[in-house]
Amino acid sequence: MSSLVNPGRVRVPRQAPSAIERARLALVPTRTVRAPRAPFAVLVALLLGAGVVGLLMFNTHMQQASFYATSLQQRADALAAKRQALEMEVARLRDPQQLAAAGRKLGMVVPPVPAFIDLRTGKISGIPTPATSEDTMRITSLPAGLPEEFNKKPRYIKLPPPPAGNSVQTQADDGPASAGGTPAGGRNNSATAR
Amino acid sequence: MRLRVGLIVIAMVLSVFGVRLVQLQGLDPKAYAARADAAGLVKLPLPATRGEITDRNGVPLAESVSGLMIFADPQRTRPNAEKIARILANRLELDYFDVLDALRKSNGAGKPDLRFAYVARRVPEATALAAVAAVKKAGFQGVDTRPDPVRFYPAKDVGANLLGFLGADGKPLAGLEMMFEKQLAGKDGSESYEVGGGNRIPLGENTEVKPVNGKDLTLTIDRDVQFYAQRVLRTTVQNSRAESGAAIAIDTKTGDILALADYPSYDANDAGAAPKADRGSRALSNVYEPGSVEKVLTTSALIDAGKVTPRTRIRVPANLPIGSDVINDYFEHSLIKLTLAGVIAKSSNIGTVLATRQFKPEQLWGYLDKFGLGHRAGIGLAGETRGLLPKPADWTELTQATISFGQGLSVNALQMATAINAVANGGELISPSLIKGRATTGSGVEVGSDVATRHRVISPQAASAAAKMMEMVVTQGAGTAPGAGIPGYRVAGKTGTAQQVGKTCKCYDGSLAVSFAGFAPADDPRFTVYVVIQKPKNGGSGGGTAGPVFRKVMSYLLQKYAVPPTNTPPAALPVEW
Repeated sequence: MSSLVNPGRVRVPRQAPSAIERARLALVPTRTVRAPRAPFAVLVALLLGAGVVGLLMFNTHMQQASFYATSLQQRADALAAKRQALEMEVARLRDPQQLAAAGRKLGMVVPPVPAFIDLRTGKISGIPTPATSEDTMRITSLPAGLPEEFNKKPRYIKLPPPPAGNSVQTQADDGPASAGGTPAGGRNNSATAR
Repeated sequence: MRLRVGLIVIAMVLSVFGVRLVQLQGLDPKAYAARADAAGLVKLPLPATRGEITDRNGVPLAESVSGLMIFADPQRTRPNAEKIARILANRLELDYFDVLDALRKSNGAGKPDLRFAYVARRVPEATALAAVAAVKKAGFQGVDTRPDPVRFYPAKDVGANLLGFLGADGKPLAGLEMMFEKQLAGKDGSESYEVGGGNRIPLGENTEVKPVNGKDLTLTIDRDVQFYAQRVLRTTVQNSRAESGAAIAIDTKTGDILALADYPSYDANDAGAAPKADRGSRALSNVYEPGSVEKVLTTSALIDAGKVTPRTRIRVPANLPIGSDVINDYFEHSLIKLTLAGVIAKSSNIGTVLATRQFKPEQLWGYLDKFGLGHRAGIGLAGETRGLLPKPADWTELTQATISFGQGLSVNALQMATAINAVANGGELISPSLIKGRATTGSGVEVGSDVATRHRVISPQAASAAAKMMEMVVTQGAGTAPGAGIPGYRVAGKTGTAQQVGKTCKCYDGSLAVSFAGFAPADDPRFTVYVVIQKPKNGGSGGGTAGPVFRKVMSYLLQKYAVPPTNTPPAALPVEW
């Protein structure tokens, strides 16, 4: 850069004119042999295009896989939930209470005395005894007591003794009160039956 | 000119960018970064699965299933409440009107509208999702779900008094669930990932801390035996209109508790509905005076000390005055001549007191102490009581007399079962276990069948002699409880009918604790069963009320575990002379 700015400072040695003459350079016509541009451009474009398209496809594929994974995960969750529900159902059916009730329904009873048959020898150990109703137990809970609402204590109200002339009126008043008691009793009974 | 204008425009735009850059990066960069993250980042807790509690055969008694809560946005459900309620009530087996109320719930006039109301809690996932999907399919909005783990007790009340239960927030509130929370709970994990349109963004930010699931807890309980014992006990308690009852079955050789039944009990799936007093185990917490069952301990101690034999002859007077008090037998008699076996068979208080006069207080106390009275069994449940065995220094002649036949000291049912099991097990006491293997409680105590301790209380000969005397109890014509015998088997047992101290008067108020303890087969015991019924109101007795419970539970055990009769001649000791 500095030589361009200060050309005066460069010392050029003097030389003979003939030498200069000999040494004069002639401009050679420039040969413009340029490599053809098109293939390179095409190549670059292709590479770029392939890259972009590849990346796009890769991304799309990944997204696709992600969608698929999500849907599979949802299916797995649903199936796991279903499996759990079925397992709970099995557990409910295997509940000894359930089995006891089913056995009872088939007419099965609890043996009062354990006794065994040895199937190889046919020998019986223990004293086989027919079961009786003595040996049963209640497998279902007793009906729970009625809730307070249905089982209210009767309320007694002391009325002042009515004047002698109104005795007929009083009896008429008693009527609805006792009638009111009957439906309450009916409701009680239905609650017990349940 | 154009160049300048362009330059100015570019400079202006760039300076705007610059200012924005300073604003974003210089002033509060973290908040913006967090907001950017939150926009697409999903954070999910990964709840650890709570360990199962299983019986000795691996049958689950308590298990965790993933559940959901169903809630409504009343603002959106109110217009179509009837139709939505019909769908939900049918699908979830709920009361239609309860659902309707939830769907229409409001804060009252003038207040901001309610946007959240529970329709159902802890619904199994599949059921809940199906119900909500049905609502959506019918074209209604405003019903949704959220995770709400379910603790499921498949056998409902079976073992509930031992298992305990979880509160609405999933925290354990009682029983084994609470004592072994550390082991059962596990550790929750968490997961966070970026989403776009509901799908996980591949290669996006993604962290996962895996949950550590809780460990299972295996009990020594046999669910079938537990169920059977609970049903037999319930039937008896209800029929005798008693206050409560307990039945304990122990594997004689190992000390494993096969069944520990309590009544009243409750459904562990719905613990809130039961009175608080019924949720614990009365067999462990309730102390009472054991009564005549304790005579087995006293007499076997006397035999072990060489003071008596089952054939020792005792003259039993009609009553026995001690100081200002008089000791009676439960049955009227004049002077009778009983052997020691007869004293046990007929359950004579006076005979026991007379035989025990050969002991100093320290001696009797020493034996009872070794039998575990006054000590916690330590099976790993909270609320276990110690009972009360007075120190021998405080004993008077009357104290020793009453303690010899089981009054004036108090025990819990498990202590009594353990002590009788020591007699069954040839005189060696095994600390009972409820946990199979080993487990550490919340307070850091290791319990379980692997750490059960054994110590000798009486000699094998004394134990065998006591067993023979106990056989006389269930012998027709000789003992107090022929109804407790199992035909074909040699059964050893002892009845107990003890007066109880009332809560208010601190005196014997006429209420009773009737009990029966025994083991079978008497000459090679496999199981020990102890039954106690508190305060029966039908004039119950140990033999008449508790005896049949014993027989049924014992028969079931012998049958289930296929224990054949030993086919040896039954004990035939003289009861009178």
